[in-house]
Amino acid sequence: MPPLRDKFSIHSRAVVCQDVEMRGDITVGAGTVVHPKAAIFALVGPIVIGTNCILEEGTILVNRRKEVMRIGDENLFEIHCRVESPVIGDCNTVSTKARLHHTVRLGDFCVIGAGCLVVPVEDEVLPDYTVVYGPNSERRVWSGRGKLQEQDLRRKHAEYLREMLPKFNRLRRSE
Amino acid sequence: MPPTIRYHCNCTSLASGVPPPPHLPSSAYAFHPLHSLYFCEECDAVRCNRCATVEISGYYCPNCLFEVPSASVRAEKNRCARNCFLCPVCTNTLSVVPSDPPEPADGARTPVTISAVGEPPFFLYCNHCRWDSVDAGITFEKPTGLALQLQKTEDSAPEILELEKLKDYFEPALRQAQAQQQLHASSTAHLNPIQAAASSALSRDIPALKYSSGRRPGLGSSSSRRGVPPAMPSPGVGHQDIDDPATEYKPRVWMSAGGGIGHDAEVEWLANLGSQGGEGSSQPVVATSNSGEIATLSQRLHATQFSWAPTHSLRTVDLKPTRVPLRSKKSKRCPKCTHILIKPELKAQSTKWKIKLVAGNYLPGIEVFLPTVGQNPALKKTGKEKEAASAEEAAAANMMLPGRSYPFHLIFSNPLYDPITVRLSVQRSLPAASATPIVPDTPATPMVSQSHATAKRPPYAISLPTTSFLVNPFAEAWEYEDDEDEEMFDEDDIGINLGISRTPGRSGTGRDGGTKTKAKTVGVLERRANVTKIGGEVVVSKEGKGAVKFNMLVSYTYRSDDAAPEEAKTDASTPASKLSSTKKELLAGATENTKTFNFYTVVDLGAIAPKEIIAKVEKQERRDSVQTVGVYN
Repeated sequence: MPPLRDKFSIHSRAVVCQDVEMRGDITVGAGTVVHPKAAIFALVGPIVIGTNCILEEGTILVNRRKEVMRIGDENLFEIHCRVESPVIGDCNTVSTKARLHHTVRLGDFCVIGAGCLVVPVEDEVLPDYTVVYGPNSERRVWSGRGKLQEQDLRRKHAEYLREMLPKFNRLRRSE
Repeated sequence: MPPTIRYHCNCTSLASGVPPPPHLPSSAYAFHPLHSLYFCEECDAVRCNRCATVEISGYYCPNCLFEVPSASVRAEKNRCARNCFLCPVCTNTLSVVPSDPPEPADGARTPVTISAVGEPPFFLYCNHCRWDSVDAGITFEKPTGLALQLQKTEDSAPEILELEKLKDYFEPALRQAQAQQQLHASSTAHLNPIQAAASSALSRDIPALKYSSGRRPGLGSSSSRRGVPPAMPSPGVGHQDIDDPATEYKPRVWMSAGGGIGHDAEVEWLANLGSQGGEGSSQPVVATSNSGEIATLSQRLHATQFSWAPTHSLRTVDLKPTRVPLRSKKSKRCPKCTHILIKPELKAQSTKWKIKLVAGNYLPGIEVFLPTVGQNPALKKTGKEKEAASAEEAAAANMMLPGRSYPFHLIFSNPLYDPITVRLSVQRSLPAASATPIVPDTPATPMVSQSHATAKRPPYAISLPTTSFLVNPFAEAWEYEDDEDEEMFDEDDIGINLGISRTPGRSGTGRDGGTKTKAKTVGVLERRANVTKIGGEVVVSKEGKGAVKFNMLVSYTYRSDDAAPEEAKTDASTPASKLSSTKKELLAGATENTKTFNFYTVVDLGAIAPKEIIAKVEKQERRDSVQTVGVYN
């Protein structure tokens, strides 16, 4: 295995705390907030995170494939979730302690409920507006109603975090 | 399974109060964990959830925590009348949300300003599964007062209309029955009102029965029906005979004869489901991935169970949100003396109790540990062998092997503010052929091991200390001082931390592990704060199998403030009273009013490993010892 060369490109408006474990080739887009104690491991291929994403504590993003792992804009990764999927669209929510396998790809506006395991055996793309919920990870399709309010809320959330986190945490800047 | 201990409640046993032997399967119902038991102070008895009388002390909505007066409970059909609804898909509570503002016409992704109040129409939204009520067609103009807004639609539900029609139809018959009741009651006015009500109920005319009140079939609706047994007073003319075919009841929605089931539209829809393009399955109808259009059985049942509008339709889109069912706060009484055991506070949001007579505040708490059983040998293995071995090994590790003896610990904690002296005795489980009676152990012998010569002897022998031991009273942690203890021996593996700080004098008494002999595992092991640890031993015989369970009688004596001392009725009582008088110096008060209370418990030490698992484990161990460490497949 070729040795891991750390190369972080953190946008100047992104907020990445010092305590985040990062390895490999990682690009963090504008406005993204990464809470302390998150972990981003680009073990083989690079990881590219879009704009205005929020990665809360305990989030683990892992890329074990050679291809680029792309994460879209305005996604919310809640506490202790573990994501290995190679493609994630925009405005998704991965809730607390959810786990996504590397065979899943998310579309836009998907919601993975708390504690849900999305581990399909074969490669699968979750269409837009899919909601995974319940202890058995059942799925249904969201009508999309209320998405504007949710986007607005997420923007406000990210704005607040960008303002508050630097006051109490040290930030990691791009090298 | 870790060893457990449960307490016996007398309600299921016979008059003698002796619990059933634990190898009988029905004995499981007679024993309860301590946290689910109550204690009646008047009768001095343990009560369980089954024998306590329950009465409702109030109704409340679990969502809005509004206390509903009992009058409106019936009117609202046990549901919350305010804005509380359950999601039909995932049964979480719904919240009322405004709709999105209209998107800007240019379609660009400029952020839209969201007003604080929100825009109508409002609808119900589930945060968990993202279902919203617009699918079911329910929207509101205002975010409050949803019940009123829904009232109109609910009232025009087909079931309600049907009920109204039925009521109208039976109205004259009801009036008849009431009139008869009046007449009958007036003639027997001198009778006891209960008897009068009973007799009038018995002789009431049942309109639906064709042969009621002596009427013959085929007579039709002629007035000859009324010239009948003199016991039936005639109510007069002008009644309508319900069984007359001319006035037969017609339901509102009439299925024409020969029209089939009438759900043709639905049958067609089902047939079309499978053949739609996107499904990808060649079979018609229902594959497992039905794209969520068909309501699952549990969703349909939930809609029927919690609402009065059963859904005949199979579609998910027809599932309507149901109102939140109310919950009740209950108070419990002792069945014999009707004193209140449990009384909750009236406020819905408070979880405290006005009266709380739980057994945990009166009976000593007992915990059981088997210190030598339960180390998992699977932890020593690495890599892939772990999965193969774990099933049998884990099972075997927590079980006892036949032919060995295991020490076990019983930890007693005293909830009272007075010290108690406890005596234990093992109850023999008596198979019918046995001739050994229940033996009360004499106080002199420190260790008694019981064995049987009967045909059906239990596969284990229990030794317990039979002297009575003291458990100190409960007090706050900082109040504990050095106590004058009897001799005690600390076991090597006291790793059990009870969270109570050790008093400074204790560490001075060293642990002498080296001079321990086998006899010392039985007896008082340790005493600190209000907790005493007792050691016992169980010897598992070679052909033992099944669970090791035994009934144990615990009797404890404490000082009470009652005028007359009471003694328990078992034969353990006399030594106890003797001992209590000898322990006078420990009891501070001058009056020696002591009370003895005894209760039965069942101690389950776990199962004895059956031979198959032992054989498997031994084979695995032999195989592993050959493999070298560090081999990866």
